[in-house]
Amino acid sequence: MYPVISRHLISASAVLLSATLIAPAARAQSRAETLRYVTAATVNTLDPNIPGSTREAFALSMSSYDRLVSFGRKQLNGKWVFDLDTINGELAESFSVSPDGLKLTFKLRPDAKFHDGSPVTAEDVKWSLDRCVTAPVLGKAQLLTGSLTSADQFKVIDPLTLEVTLPRPDKLALPNLATVYPIIINSKLAKSHATPEDPWALSWLKENEAGSGAYIVETFKPGEQAIAKRNEAWNRGSPDKPASFKRLIIQSVPEPATRANLVERGDADLVIDLQASDVQALEAKGKLKVISTPQYNAVTFISMNNKIPPFDNVNVRRAIAAALPYDDMFKAALFGRGAPLFGASWADGTPPSGGYPIPQPVKLDLEKARAYLKEAGMPEGFATTFSFNVGQAATAEPMAALVKESLEKIGIKVDIQKLPDAQMSSSINEKKLPFFTEGIVAWLPSTDYFYRNFYTGNQRWNYSSTDNAELEKIAQAARFEPDKAKYEAKGKELNAIHFEQMFQVPLWQPAQDAVMAANLDGYVYQFTRQVDYRNLSRK
Amino acid sequence: MSLTATSSGLRHTVWVLRGNLVTAIAAAAAILLALVAIFGPMLVPYDPVASDVPRALQPPSALHWAGTDQLGRDVFSRLVVATRLDLAIAVTAVSVSFVIGAVIGSLCGYVGGKLDRAVGRFVDVLMAFPLFVLAMAMVAALGNRVENIVIATAIINLPFYIRFARAEVNIRRNLGWVEAARACGDGHVSVVLRFLLPNVLPAMAVQMSLNLGWAILNAAGLSFIGLGVKPPTPEWGIMVAEGARFISTGRWWLVSFPGLALMLAVLCFNLLGDGLRDILDPRMRT
Amino acid sequence: MGTIGATLIRAGRRFLSSLPALFGVLVFTFLLMRVLPGDPAVFFASGPSAGNEEIEVVRKQLGLDRSLPEQLVIYLHDVGRGNLGRSMMTGQPVAKDLRQRLPASLELTLTALVIALIAAVPLGVLAALRPNSLIDHSVRLFCSLGVCVPTFVSGLLLIYVFYYLLGLAPDPTGRIDVFASVPPARTGFLMVDFLLAGDVEGWWAAARQLMLPAFTMALFVIAPLARITRASMLVSLGSDFVRTARSVGLSRWQIVVTYALRNAILPVITIAGIVFSTMLGANVLVEKVFSWPGVASYALDALLVSDYAPVQGFVLLMASIFVAVNLLVDVLYGIADPRATVA
Repeated sequence: MYPVISRHLISASAVLLSATLIAPAARAQSRAETLRYVTAATVNTLDPNIPGSTREAFALSMSSYDRLVSFGRKQLNGKWVFDLDTINGELAESFSVSPDGLKLTFKLRPDAKFHDGSPVTAEDVKWSLDRCVTAPVLGKAQLLTGSLTSADQFKVIDPLTLEVTLPRPDKLALPNLATVYPIIINSKLAKSHATPEDPWALSWLKENEAGSGAYIVETFKPGEQAIAKRNEAWNRGSPDKPASFKRLIIQSVPEPATRANLVERGDADLVIDLQASDVQALEAKGKLKVISTPQYNAVTFISMNNKIPPFDNVNVRRAIAAALPYDDMFKAALFGRGAPLFGASWADGTPPSGGYPIPQPVKLDLEKARAYLKEAGMPEGFATTFSFNVGQAATAEPMAALVKESLEKIGIKVDIQKLPDAQMSSSINEKKLPFFTEGIVAWLPSTDYFYRNFYTGNQRWNYSSTDNAELEKIAQAARFEPDKAKYEAKGKELNAIHFEQMFQVPLWQPAQDAVMAANLDGYVYQFTRQVDYRNLSRK
Repeated sequence: MSLTATSSGLRHTVWVLRGNLVTAIAAAAAILLALVAIFGPMLVPYDPVASDVPRALQPPSALHWAGTDQLGRDVFSRLVVATRLDLAIAVTAVSVSFVIGAVIGSLCGYVGGKLDRAVGRFVDVLMAFPLFVLAMAMVAALGNRVENIVIATAIINLPFYIRFARAEVNIRRNLGWVEAARACGDGHVSVVLRFLLPNVLPAMAVQMSLNLGWAILNAAGLSFIGLGVKPPTPEWGIMVAEGARFISTGRWWLVSFPGLALMLAVLCFNLLGDGLRDILDPRMRT
Repeated sequence: MGTIGATLIRAGRRFLSSLPALFGVLVFTFLLMRVLPGDPAVFFASGPSAGNEEIEVVRKQLGLDRSLPEQLVIYLHDVGRGNLGRSMMTGQPVAKDLRQRLPASLELTLTALVIALIAAVPLGVLAALRPNSLIDHSVRLFCSLGVCVPTFVSGLLLIYVFYYLLGLAPDPTGRIDVFASVPPARTGFLMVDFLLAGDVEGWWAAARQLMLPAFTMALFVIAPLARITRASMLVSLGSDFVRTARSVGLSRWQIVVTYALRNAILPVITIAGIVFSTMLGANVLVEKVFSWPGVASYALDALLVSDYAPVQGFVLLMASIFVAVNLLVDVLYGIADPRATVA
């Protein structure tokens, strides 16, 4: 027995010694080289394609996997945001589009290696893209929007060249390959874990990472944390340098106030999901860097189901749009953080731009609202319910209270419903809610994309259940319109219909408030509404 | 009960209260709470649901004694008005579980046999549930309306009352005076209602008082995870839960005042329960 | 030996009789989850481009395309084989999630219970020695104060004061500092694992993480424990054998501790058992506030998004623990007080 005990004693004292003597310095250094990111949500899968993936899972996959191409960045109002119009090679060293727009050719980087050291080949790329359009994964519906639907479209030319064939020229094909889903997977490794029931290794890749990205996942505890270390061989960001931080810690901290405390005390480096009130306070203190950008590809609405009376009446919808207390809501619920989509003045009554979303000339005007109600044949008002999501309570609850108060003034009695998240999404999907607030996001925002996906068809994202033949026709035509001026004109037409019909009321683009240590650099607002950890460095 | 018995009971009560300052204060506070619940809404300085966004998040002042909230509503007025709803939730929930529990429990205790075993099984099932999660699930399933919060709170309390009533009745059902009542031709129902239940009541009253405070806290917990009453209805739990969001920005009044109201109410019911036990339970008299 | 044997037989019988209750819990939870108005398939198929096809895929994956009785039979069959299903939220098998998280909850709850007992028993004894005195009332007031603050408020306030303002407590982000190395998981209880690994510094760090949440929880349960200690001490102090002991002239200390308290402790154990199992299920809010990776916060998150399997698994686990703790208390009771076997 003795030797065992003494070995324990020795190891214990060794640990104590090392802990007291060596640890502090090493620890401080490793802390400086570590990025600690805290968030309310959690990384729930390492493969972003798995149905149910969280946004945090998307974000981690941007760092653990490479794609063929990636979006560039641009400066907007002095802040860096993603740029859909600049597409850079990521695993592709170069790429070209044939003159007829039907063939995309990608040349792979010869030096790119997966985390296990094996080289990235065109075979891997083909397998990964095949998987994305064939397997029951999230990528399928996304790539569809870029005319990428079948494995036949991807052809290996030589070990470093891949050719993608399109059925028609599609300006969204290339950008789609830069989105979250078409990750390039180490196909040999993945195939060795595939089974006859699961030929695409969905269940293995959910818990194991087989990428070539800037970070290598070390620990993955869903609901708690994910830790990744730097891939020293990665050079897709700048020619001969890997990512800046040696280690990446993504940690779930559900309580928003705690996240604020953590970043203020310097225990966390970066957080993007704080409450508006906390951001305001931290910004005022001035110790931290706060970068606020409107979420350029997202919109928050007050939606009305155009098929459920009385919201099938355009004048009722106009009355609502004239009775919303926009300024109060923006100030009380968002603390003024974001880009308002109300209170514009359209010079000649027509939309000044063909973009989406654009600020509309709506404002609180109870007299006008009453007039519209009268015109709708409901001068006495009516009763309805207004629903929101428990997960959004921090902003939606004050909003709902203000909506109720204001609509009561024109005779509309509002009963507020606070629904658990799953209930809210299924009620929306079943088109059961007459009147509610929700948000949307598009990864590849363009006017026709928004109108086609959020204003047509019997599908979940058509919150307002809009069914407008003219709108649909123009949006479909705009989809393949190559001429910029004509596209802009079509966008204006769509925006005019939207305002005229008032299907739903866009309120604002909420701010993405990134609060970070003062010495953190390189933050870019990304299409995922998440942080791309590869961008960041410490001064 | 004869008159002398009543007056001796009263005298005992007064005696206990005099010797027991804490209970006396708790009783006074309970009366005060009841008065606030009844008359409060008529006396408050502001409309509790009227927003005034330009005046949002102001600290306490002469104008707004407990400050204003995110929408510029007067916290003091909301607190006072909320008293009625909070007490109503607690009292209704506890009464419902008490009435149902007492009836079922005493029936089981009296009849015994198959019914007793069946109900016993049901109670076991309920007891084995993690209760707060059960309440959450029920409110989520039924929708977060005041009635459903009451129902959920009542159901998770039910097993305790059933067990309690059953045990107390079971002990007494074969006692001499119960046999005597039966011999005098009283029916079973009448024996249970007239002789057994009244004897169980005092002990259950203690339980009820303790439970009132717990019911208020339960509602507050539900509010914290977003399953409380609907906005903009003022309710202490939801005010505390909303206020908790502002602790980190130093807006202490939003959590402290509703928190204090909540504390005061729960404390008062708990102390009252303890006091009641002293008054009603002769075994504890010293 | 005879009494222990009898106790064991009785425990076995009680265990068998609690099986129907467990089964009831199983079925009831299953049904309750299906009554929830949210459709998990819609919620989880929520990528920015997910349509009806994705929803169908998820629905099939979850087995929700089958009829309710069919689902129930499949579920019961799976549970019988130890398969609790898969969580959509974490993407992991529920059994694995629970196994990983249960030690966190148990460690927190046990620590809180020990803290509460250390505070409650002396307070209860003190109060019972001088009933209706100023001490008695102060004890009552103190205990009642603890129980009247919602745990999420006391938790947030403790964090604000001890972490944010004073900097005494470590950051409230779970069981261990993310920069510290985790000991090899032998028991899952960090306090034990660190000791086994001989890592004193790590042990201390984990203990510090544990303090605030444990105190928050303890505050809430001191009152019932102190109350029962006081009541049973009063009975015990008034009993014949204490009077006898007093008349024999034993010292006051000896009487209180060796005679009265020993006899009064049984009801305290019973209540502590009940308190333990309720705490384990009810510490949802504490776990949330302190980012504690326990089972209760896991169930809460799952509930809000209608992720059926984790909630069902959690409730089953809690019910089983409830049964087990009751059995344990029963056995302890039988050993400590042979008379209980007669009754």
